Amino acid sequence: MWELAVRSLEVSAILLLAALGELVGQRSGVLNVGLEGLMLFGGTVAFIATQATGNFPLGFAAALAVGALLGCAHGFFSITLRGDQVVSGMGLWILSFGLTTFLGSPYAGPLGLGRIESPAGLPPFFVLGVLLVAAAWFLLYRTGPGLAIRSVGENPAAAEAAGIPVAAIRYLCVVAGGVLAALAGAAYTLSYNPVWNYNFIMGWGFVSLALVFFSMWNPWILLAGASLFGLMWQLSLSPELVLPGILSRYVWRTLPFAITIPILVVISTPWFRTRWGLAKPEALGQPYAKG
Amino acid sequence: MEVVLAARGITKRFPGVLALDRVDLEVPGGEIHAVLGQNGAGKTTLMNVLFGLVQPDEGALFLHGRRVEFRSPHDALTHGIGMVHQTRRLVAAHTVLENIVLGHPRVRGVLSLRDARVEVAALCRRYGVGLDLGARVWQLSEGERQWVEILKALYRGARVLILDEPTSVLTPPEAAALLAGLQAMVRGEGVTALLVTHKLPTVMSACDRVTVLRAGRVVGRLRTAEATEDLLVRYMVGRDVAPGPAGPSGAPGRRVLEVEDLACLGDRGVAALRGVSFALREGEILGIAGVAGNGQEELAQVLAGLRPATAGRVRLDGRDITRLPPVARWALGVGYIPAERTEVASIGAFSLVDNTALTYHFDPAYVRRGLLDDAGLARLTRRIIDGFDVKVPHPYARARQLSGGNLQKMILGRVLSRAPRVLIAHLPTQGLDVEATAFVRAQLREAAAGGAAVVLISEDLDEIVALGDWVAPIYEGRFVAWLGREQADPETVGAMMAGRRREWAAAR
Ligand SMILES: Nc1ncnc2c1ncn2[C@@H]1O[C@H](COP(=O)(O)OP(=O)(O)O)[C@@H](O)[C@H]1O
Ligand SMILES: [Mg+2]
Repeated sequence: MWELAVRSLEVSAILLLAALGELVGQRSGVLNVGLEGLMLFGGTVAFIATQATGNFPLGFAAALAVGALLGCAHGFFSITLRGDQVVSGMGLWILSFGLTTFLGSPYAGPLGLGRIESPAGLPPFFVLGVLLVAAAWFLLYRTGPGLAIRSVGENPAAAEAAGIPVAAIRYLCVVAGGVLAALAGAAYTLSYNPVWNYNFIMGWGFVSLALVFFSMWNPWILLAGASLFGLMWQLSLSPELVLPGILSRYVWRTLPFAITIPILVVISTPWFRTRWGLAKPEALGQPYAKG
Repeated sequence: MEVVLAARGITKRFPGVLALDRVDLEVPGGEIHAVLGQNGAGKTTLMNVLFGLVQPDEGALFLHGRRVEFRSPHDALTHGIGMVHQTRRLVAAHTVLENIVLGHPRVRGVLSLRDARVEVAALCRRYGVGLDLGARVWQLSEGERQWVEILKALYRGARVLILDEPTSVLTPPEAAALLAGLQAMVRGEGVTALLVTHKLPTVMSACDRVTVLRAGRVVGRLRTAEATEDLLVRYMVGRDVAPGPAGPSGAPGRRVLEVEDLACLGDRGVAALRGVSFALREGEILGIAGVAGNGQEELAQVLAGLRPATAGRVRLDGRDITRLPPVARWALGVGYIPAERTEVASIGAFSLVDNTALTYHFDPAYVRRGLLDDAGLARLTRRIIDGFDVKVPHPYARARQLSGGNLQKMILGRVLSRAPRVLIAHLPTQGLDVEATAFVRAQLREAAAGGAAVVLISEDLDEIVALGDWVAPIYEGRFVAWLGREQADPETVGAMMAGRRREWAAAR
């Protein structure tokens, strides 16, 4: 039972890290639907670098660097060129999907190194995730730069008129989002399941994306959502632990995805929004042209 | 008086437009300085240059005689220049206080909203502004939002305040209060204000000096004490503008439109229209005056068939059309000019011919074997372009290439070419310059003279009073009164629009 909890928190941590970066990016008004691709890329690069050098920190550093680079690319298309953010994000995903398959195939198989130690038996990335949630919340709601980020995502024209550099803030947030997504991918291939195989992330990037909407852009709700989904995912791998003999594991495995859909439908209803207040950043997905 | 802010030889080109042509501006301190001009004269561009939002191609700015260069609004703000933009620059989801402190150097690090609250409250007291600092901006009225913008600039330490058309979205009492507050600020605190407007009474009553722009050039520079409205109009337009014909619009005929106890819901599911009744005859114009959001938009939509009525009845020439869909109403002679010229009334990416087709696609005269008769529609479009003086190279130009005035002429022409029995015109002259406004008003009058019943919905009191045979101020979904032409003076109607009831008006 304890082991199940730890395993599920490891899953939660991966979803949480990626989703938290996306949350900050979306708060600044930039949508990155290519989260899945960034995670694949980060995971693959981290895996290759670690296997080549036998050095974990180097693997993580490589992932962070590639995440920042991809974040910059998304920023360049969607902020500087003011392209369609969905198109750019989708492009990033497809590109990453192809490239990581090409780069990773020769390395397919287990990492072959020891596991990363968990201090005090807690999954380290979950602890990191919780700390980052607290930090993100403090940044967004208790600091001037946070107010600037939220304002840029709500009404960039108003922010600009108040002397805030809109593009710079958006770039920072998008790059931070890329870094966190790549870190999430690295946490997958180096810690959760240190085996490279084709499309190892299996849609978790899209679950993370959905979690951001589910959280209504609030880091604490995001933490709760990610924890819940992590548990459901891990349960779906070994349902017999809780409810032996009911349904096949494949039905269980669809559950997290199946539940996402009705939740998203409910929170997008006008009823829900009037009841709980409109939380979506007003300018989300819209390129900003000066003046 | 010392010149606080000056611009010399400012030139700014946009693709295909010379927006500013060697403009010189001198703003003496401690005064309200008006910048007057028609739409497109370059007022906003000039203000954006002064605020660092737009970089001029040529020319220089001087503050207290020293040359300054503003690369961004941030630079202007640090030099004590604040701007209240023509379109609101507030974050609707944030509180008043958050909006005011946004971008202030004090909130670089951890937000200490408690200190800021004390300071902003002091600022409010000093200028006599009553605002709930914890309220979210979307909950405020337009007048309050305007004050948030001004406080935001003052809190940043602005000594020169640029206001771009600050009264255009306010009710008459709100506008008067704003101008009075501004005057107090300038006299009492030595703030300098630059007020952009195209309203002559505002210039004459509230400002000390005026610079008039026309087509990107300064054409007049004078003290308001030495100016008259006629003189300013001549500067603005470049010649005299004939006032529109006055007096009632012909002898009314048969009853065309009858509305009984009409009610409907707004977008948020709450009652927007709460029982409106009236009847209009051929040749009559009804002016519905109201501040946005009091049910007038919903009334227009219900009449056009775009929004279901929850109660009541609409009759056209005696026939009940309450449940008819929009196309059936068009065919029976209802014409509708929506307020949103570019979003609802036209499709920017379509050619003018296709836009014309939007109100003719159901008309058997323009459909051949199930297909649209493009040649016929092109001929019709050309007739509209000629008849309504639309300035456009050819009928296949895209609608988005047209300026506001030309687009409105096109929309008006399209509707009037169907010779409607009832014409619903919602804010038909909003944002148009003096000439286009005069043209649209004349056309509405002509439509009435031709036998249509016209429902004119406007926020412009002068327009309502000048055109309406009947005037109905609307407030919270009901007509406050039904006034004949003689009873409808701007003060009475203005007060009723703001919710003052008829007893009050009668007591005057
Ligand atoms: N960003 C822009 N790009 C191209 N043309 C512009 C832009 N801003 C303004 N213009 C043009 O410059 C002219 C002056 O506009 P503006 O300063 O907004 O006038 P006003 O505020 O007096 O109505 C207009 O012809 C307008 O179409
Ligand atoms: Mg303007």
